[in-house]
Amino acid sequence: MAFTITCPICGPRSGYEFRYGGQDKGPRPDPAEMTPETWCDYVHMTDSCPGVQKEWWYHRAGCGIWFTIYRDTTTNLEVSPDSPEAVA
Amino acid sequence: MFGLHKRLWAARPVKSSYDAVIIGGGLHGLATAYFLARDHNITNVAVIEKRFIGFGGSGRNTAIVRANQRTQENLPLYKEALDLWPELTRELDFNLMFHNCGNLNLAHSEAALKAMRLQVASAQFLGIDSRLLDPKECKEVVPALDISGRPRYPITGGMYHPPGGIVRHDAVVWGLAKGCSRRGVHIHQGTEVTGIGFEKGKVAWVDTDRGKIRTPRVLNAAGGYSAGIASRLMGLRLPISVLTIQAMVTQPLKPLLHHVVSSGAYHCYANQTLKGEIVTGAHMDPWPNFTTQTTAAYIKHQAEFVTEFLPCLKGAKFMRIWGGLADMTPDMAPIIDGHVPAEGCFLDCGWGYFGFKSSTVTGRYMARYMATGECPEILQPFALKRFQEHRLMGETAALVDYSANN
Repeated sequence: MAFTITCPICGPRSGYEFRYGGQDKGPRPDPAEMTPETWCDYVHMTDSCPGVQKEWWYHRAGCGIWFTIYRDTTTNLEVSPDSPEAVA
Repeated sequence: MFGLHKRLWAARPVKSSYDAVIIGGGLHGLATAYFLARDHNITNVAVIEKRFIGFGGSGRNTAIVRANQRTQENLPLYKEALDLWPELTRELDFNLMFHNCGNLNLAHSEAALKAMRLQVASAQFLGIDSRLLDPKECKEVVPALDISGRPRYPITGGMYHPPGGIVRHDAVVWGLAKGCSRRGVHIHQGTEVTGIGFEKGKVAWVDTDRGKIRTPRVLNAAGGYSAGIASRLMGLRLPISVLTIQAMVTQPLKPLLHHVVSSGAYHCYANQTLKGEIVTGAHMDPWPNFTTQTTAAYIKHQAEFVTEFLPCLKGAKFMRIWGGLADMTPDMAPIIDGHVPAEGCFLDCGWGYFGFKSSTVTGRYMARYMATGECPEILQPFALKRFQEHRLMGETAALVDYSANN
């Protein structure tokens, strides 16, 4: 299997069962204090650095849950949330 | 006899200052350096490449060139790019092997034909040769096509674009490197940029693993790595998602395909190289990754789909498969900008899978931008600010979404 993701309900499954949901950018900006810059940053901008990132996934062809994992984008391997590399 | 051949470009020591530093020894970087020297007499230029020139997308693309994109902002750029290949071949005294074979893009539904009508009209409006064909005419252009009702998605027509074709990508890398070196540009391979320094709101220096270089201009043209360089070293986050794109070639076959044939519905394209191999590709796993890993699922997909509209390829064996990085933006158009986040910082990235066909012409205009400080009109629509202003370009036909938040 080229790429495995661990679903919190179904366990490790083929990556092709999932849909990528973007880098986890934290909470949505508060509408009261929102500027075009903060909204653009939240909607479009990402770090795009090779390495570990916290990201959203959706188990499309499975149980339908949304969840986050830490993944190393240089290896496609999941990283434990307790590991020192796992910073959001 | 090998000793008779001189090196095409020289290895020189890293100087402590340059008039311009270009990050990335790919086609966009080399082309910019070349035109800085050729058109603006700025020859004190360094191209910094972490690995070797042409290591990234410049040597991994499938070498297709065309100017039948969708929007009025993009089309003029690609049109000029097509005109540049013969000119550069002469000027660089290096055979870029421009094979002007033409591209045929297949439609498999009424909706696809409708979209093509718009594309053809846009191209013709700008003086680009692009025509709509019915299935029978498609078969006349490419006799190997199956235009019967047998395939899952039968062919309903096609968009024929005679000025497009194939250019040997490595030759462009080598030719431009040769041209750069002859005009005094320094190409530093195996050199990594580790930092970018700013003074009084202007770019001031670049740190490399071979020392510090002072410079008033820096261009980030690092392809798949440019967004990471922007966010890590320039403090500038970009709307870019980096995916691995794959391609493969079959064993060499007798000549049977004399055009580039592509299909949106099957999401693949195929053309035959001058050696006889069928080059085919297009697939990206839609999650960001820098692996350049190839996948078995894709080989199966490609074999199934390419033989749907070219059944004569059944039984041909794949010889090689490879992957490269595509830096995708939400609107499938590049990010070209200057003086962000500080004066003297230039960006040429987010090309996705359009980086090869656009490289030389973008280099020419980017060189003008860097030399004069004023953005040429043709590059203005690609500014980073368009995302904040909700002026995304309609380059994507909404078949696939490879944006960062897909």
